[in-house]
Amino acid sequence: MRAYPYLAEVLADKYDVDEDKIRPEATLADLGLDSLMVVEFLFDVEDEFDIEVPDDRAEFETLDEAATLIDELIEAKGD
Amino acid sequence: MGRRVFITGLGLIAPHGEDPESVFDRIYQGDSAVRMVRSGTVDFGSDLPLATADFTPKDRIPKTQQLFMARASQMAVVAAEGALQSSGLFGVGQEGPEDGEIGVYMGCGLGGAEILQEGYRTYFVRQSRRGRPSTVPMIMASGPASHISMRFGLHGPTHTYSIACASSTVAIGEAFRAIRDGYLDTALSGGAEAMLNDGSIAAWERLGVLASSHTDGPEASSRPFDLERTGFVLGEGAALLVLEAESALQERAVDPIAEIIGYGVSSDAFSLTEPHAAGQEAAMRSAITDADIEREEVQYVNAHATGTPSGDPIEIEAIKSIFEDHASNLAVSSTKSVHGHLVGASGALETAISAIALQKGRIPPTANLTDPDPSCDLDCVPEYGREAPELTVAISNSFAFGGSNATLVLRKV
Repeated sequence: MRAYPYLAEVLADKYDVDEDKIRPEATLADLGLDSLMVVEFLFDVEDEFDIEVPDDRAEFETLDEAATLIDELIEAKGD
Repeated sequence: MGRRVFITGLGLIAPHGEDPESVFDRIYQGDSAVRMVRSGTVDFGSDLPLATADFTPKDRIPKTQQLFMARASQMAVVAAEGALQSSGLFGVGQEGPEDGEIGVYMGCGLGGAEILQEGYRTYFVRQSRRGRPSTVPMIMASGPASHISMRFGLHGPTHTYSIACASSTVAIGEAFRAIRDGYLDTALSGGAEAMLNDGSIAAWERLGVLASSHTDGPEASSRPFDLERTGFVLGEGAALLVLEAESALQERAVDPIAEIIGYGVSSDAFSLTEPHAAGQEAAMRSAITDADIEREEVQYVNAHATGTPSGDPIEIEAIKSIFEDHASNLAVSSTKSVHGHLVGASGALETAISAIALQKGRIPPTANLTDPDPSCDLDCVPEYGREAPELTVAISNSFAFGGSNATLVLRKV
């Protein structure tokens, strides 16, 4: 789980999400992110890890699923 | 005759600050907010006199909202909050749509100029197609109006007028009409502009209309009607007015700042950048007719006069043409001499200044007017503000690139 701590940090720092609410099973909607914020959030993540989330794979529900996807993409990149 | 419309609140993010009273006092003192500012980099760029606003959204707008707001929108919502608070209406939209049927009528010329610049930098300089996903909604000229509506829960019409330098005068005029004609009881109206980013400034410089620094310093570089004028000083900021129908006002104990009594517009159909006296005259005539007053009742003109060599004498010619013998009785000043030209927010700031001038009975000066141009031979209130306890009616002019002209008529309450 390389990505999860970063996701949690960005959500708390940049998107002002209450840290108590940031849990693996929480969805981004639960955390108060609307669709534009989700796209911007993914953009931050892509920038951080130098990856690209393909449109057809950006359909995760929970934070845990998002982190798993990001981890896979980081691994696929070969770092 | 429609309903009477009053200005009941003001909120400013101006080069002179935020508190309307102290902003007015500084303008009345002829205290310039113009400073020398470096654009671009040390090696590539230029130093120009500009009128920047000392504004940061920190601790004033929730962080997640700031992320999606260009500077013009940030300034607009903070100025709107100030306007709502000063009118006593703050919190009005929080109870639901029925309570918040307030209109938002905003003027904005360029929208999120700095966000557009950043997008182009990513594409052309970084050679990357991965700009910020929120670039499009952040660069819209309608951003400031939309953000005001969302932030304060205002469910009435949310309109943006993007008519270059006349944007916010038209916005206020259209809000005035909507209230007068019974479509609306209350509106937040004004303008926001923030385009003092490097790319925008470079484009303005190429147009050849900006003032160079004066030998007496950057503070003296904006000098409408003066022989040594070289152009205008770009400024930034937001100015919001709360407009209310008399009926809405009767329900609350609030002292209006001034009344708006007339609005007129015209188009030159002449040139993209050259001003045209006939069009300006038509806007002023239409506004005075709309106000149902005699032209001799007008005492003060807050002129558009930006300080360009060609523009100022044309406005004087238009004023003389419409007021004839009464022109020599008028006080005509350009407060752009101290706050610069806020483009899409200019008309709103100058309407606010005119409203306070009426309230206080004080006519603000044209600062830096030390050597009047003989072709600007009206009383242009050189250098020093003037006590005018009898001041009752003022007009505020805004004339735009593209040939759109707008005039508002205000009356002391």
